[in-house]
Amino acid sequence: MTFLPTELISELSPNSPTSLEVSVRSEVERAVIMLFEQLRDPVVRYVLSFGLSVHDAEEVTQEVFLALFGHLQREKSRRNLRGWIFRVAHNLALKRRGTNQRSQNQTYLDRTIAENRLDSSPNPEEQVLSAQRQRHLLAVLNVLPEEDQCCLRLRAEGLRYREIARILGISLGAVSISLTRSLGRLMCADKR
Amino acid sequence: MPNENVHLSDHELLLSADGELSRHRAAKVRAHLATCWACRARMAEIEGTIVDFARAYGNARNLKLPSVDGPRALLKAQLTELAAKSKVGSWLRFFWVGSTSRTAMYAGIALFLIVVVGKLALQHFVGPVENSTLGAIELGAVPDLNLTPGATRTVTINEICSMAHEDVVREVPAFLRKQILQEYRITNVRAEDYEIDYLITPGLGGAEDVHNLWPQPKFLTWNAHVKDTLEEHLHEMVCAGKLDLSTAQRDIATDWIAAYKKYFQTDRPLSERSDLAATEEKRYALLGQFLRAPMLRRPAAVKNVLLFP
Repeated sequence: MTFLPTELISELSPNSPTSLEVSVRSEVERAVIMLFEQLRDPVVRYVLSFGLSVHDAEEVTQEVFLALFGHLQREKSRRNLRGWIFRVAHNLALKRRGTNQRSQNQTYLDRTIAENRLDSSPNPEEQVLSAQRQRHLLAVLNVLPEEDQCCLRLRAEGLRYREIARILGISLGAVSISLTRSLGRLMCADKR
Repeated sequence: MPNENVHLSDHELLLSADGELSRHRAAKVRAHLATCWACRARMAEIEGTIVDFARAYGNARNLKLPSVDGPRALLKAQLTELAAKSKVGSWLRFFWVGSTSRTAMYAGIALFLIVVVGKLALQHFVGPVENSTLGAIELGAVPDLNLTPGATRTVTINEICSMAHEDVVREVPAFLRKQILQEYRITNVRAEDYEIDYLITPGLGGAEDVHNLWPQPKFLTWNAHVKDTLEEHLHEMVCAGKLDLSTAQRDIATDWIAAYKKYFQTDRPLSERSDLAATEEKRYALLGQFLRAPMLRRPAAVKNVLLFP
């Protein structure tokens, strides 16, 4: 991620304290909005994987970025904000799921993918095969233990092992073992 | 890879594919792959599966989510509202944007002032501690939301309301207690001065999880026992159907002191327990310990002490 709020903030000229405070605050707001534009979709997708509805996922995502605003305003660390955002999203999604009486949209995301998306391959036979393989893979994903699913989804979103470990609160070794295990299962499914 | 003839494990191949090996190890793996067809074939299989999975998962990128425009507008409105509410001191901002050396200098002065004020307080045992000083001490009263954002478990209202008292106020296991103190870098203070407290109590569906635990100093006005009163009150309200469980969880996790004020309609704890309020001497002795603790050495805390004396 090339953009960091500090870079914006450090460019401010120190005017009077009041106007400066306003400037800093608006810079933080702008930074949060920019990060929201960059990461809203992946965060919503990740939150959806916890079985929440789109409405709930959007609400959780809003909460995440409001928390980010507070985080930046409180001068907390600005290193690896993407990892921070996913970590907060993970915790809030778990919390929201816990508060919901029943999760009825458990596989909303993957079911939607499997049903609505077709491979762009021009050959109908290949298209069917490809769709079948995708269904197999997503079916395997859905029966993995939750921690393995989270590791795999976060890796697919481009996060590094260290970031995943921090988000899930597990060791680096646990992440690599989880991904190897999941990959093994995916490979078995792929061969069927 | 001590023996060049031993094949690489899937684990190692995956780490290699993901660029997670050390440079030295990655070089060895590359060298092995250059000579071993079996491992290269296995690597191709692994990468093929990753490609297939990434393609399947990648379709999510094209999944029709609602347009970002509405949520962005909503976020902007909420941020504006939030910014209007926040009262962050202008001077705090001055420190924020200042140069590193200037910040370091003022942080040093702040630390010096803390030590001087702490020593004076300890020597003279002056009257009751006023809110202004408490404002600084009370920094430990709420958890660091980075470390302790709160975590819940899946429970029903019936389960919560039929919990035995010992489950509602469950003791935190020793290993977790140690882990939390380490996370908060509290090493050179007496462990009994802190209670490892649940942010969301088990009686409200809180989980026994490091993300839901934090070390709460016992010598603050807003201490663990005050929080217990709130937890019991919220538990009763939830079980009486007067309060939604998710609201109770959210309120206590967001800012339990604000929740206390809200649900008890008061600005101060209703009753301060005598054993915790203690004598002024005890209080200042504990204050001295707390000032020496690493928690207050964090930059934000130092600035708060200086800027809001």
